[in-house]
Amino acid sequence: MKTMNLYSPASSSIPSLNMADEFSYTDEELIARFQDGDEQAYVELVNRYRNRLMTFVYRFVNDIEKAEDIVQDTLMKLYTHRHYYRNIAKFSTWIYTIAGNFAKTELRRKKRHKVTNLSQMGFDDREYQLPSVEPETGETAQGHFAEKKIQMAIQELPLHFRTVVILRDIQELSYEEISKIVDVPLGTVKSRINRARLQLQQSLKEFR
Amino acid sequence: MDRYQFEDLISDYIENNLSMNQRKQVEAYLEENPEAKQQIESVKQVMASMKSMPGISTSAEFMNNLNRHITAEKEAKSVVKSTRSFAGYTPLMASLSAVVVIAVVMLGLEFMPESSNQATFTPTMTEQQINDLPALPANTNDSMLAESDEDSTNYDEDTPVKRNFDNKIQRVGNKRP
Repeated sequence: MKTMNLYSPASSSIPSLNMADEFSYTDEELIARFQDGDEQAYVELVNRYRNRLMTFVYRFVNDIEKAEDIVQDTLMKLYTHRHYYRNIAKFSTWIYTIAGNFAKTELRRKKRHKVTNLSQMGFDDREYQLPSVEPETGETAQGHFAEKKIQMAIQELPLHFRTVVILRDIQELSYEEISKIVDVPLGTVKSRINRARLQLQQSLKEFR
Repeated sequence: MDRYQFEDLISDYIENNLSMNQRKQVEAYLEENPEAKQQIESVKQVMASMKSMPGISTSAEFMNNLNRHITAEKEAKSVVKSTRSFAGYTPLMASLSAVVVIAVVMLGLEFMPESSNQATFTPTMTEQQINDLPALPANTNDSMLAESDEDSTNYDEDTPVKRNFDNKIQRVGNKRP
């Protein structure tokens, strides 16, 4: 059976379609090709979204292992449920919605069990090497500290504030897209983001 | 403008999404409240800090794991396909079921009584009682009918027969004018 090779030790980005094609297809075109049976289009979508989703989910659940599991589940769902996508919304809206739902489910599950495990510790509490973590210098140590404070402050936000502020201020999505992802009116999204920022500002003032 | 109204407009002010009128109101409030200016700067700093937070990458094992899951999914699908059936019946099950049904039908037909499809008349009188019945007269109804010149089948549409029931019908009560 022919298997799709997602991982090549030579590079982290797998050339799937032509190198020239890689940048010319929109997400919507890629998912349409995947729905028609082109599995290389799926590989391209994985390459485009795995780190973006990882950032979003990690900032949401604050657990690196769980975040990676959730992103795996999201991309598996993309694979098995490709035909559920309809071109009435952006592909990014769809995939972020799936990831967000998985993340919320995980947080609810965690709340019920209230288990603390090693993977909930931050970057510097355990030896967990992430390719994105730079070696710490004086400047970056300070920036890292600030990042940790912000991450802690984000965790203090209620879920409905946390989702929107991460999507807006970290993922840099538009208000309209966020409104579709979380399925609330635009005005409500703007209000929640505003409230979230004010709460973060207050929390970070206390951390100083 | 009060503090709560001002706070509601902070993000829109920073992102330049206010109308001219609203912007003037906010700026007037800022002039009167220096701590509000500080709050604006703090929120700007929060937004900038969040924007500059590093992205998170998946681990080195991520793609291998995903590949493994997809392969397992494909294998599971191919197993389901090879045993796919119609309405839940695999070919083997369907064959066995057909054999059982045919056997039941054959056995049923084997044990079914011969006259089962015919309407049967079960007499209420015993044979002795039937034999004791008086014999019918020689002049049976059949011969009487055969000899009759007229019967209800004689009906000519052109000459309808008018029947007189006057002696037989008694009018009760009202008399017609």
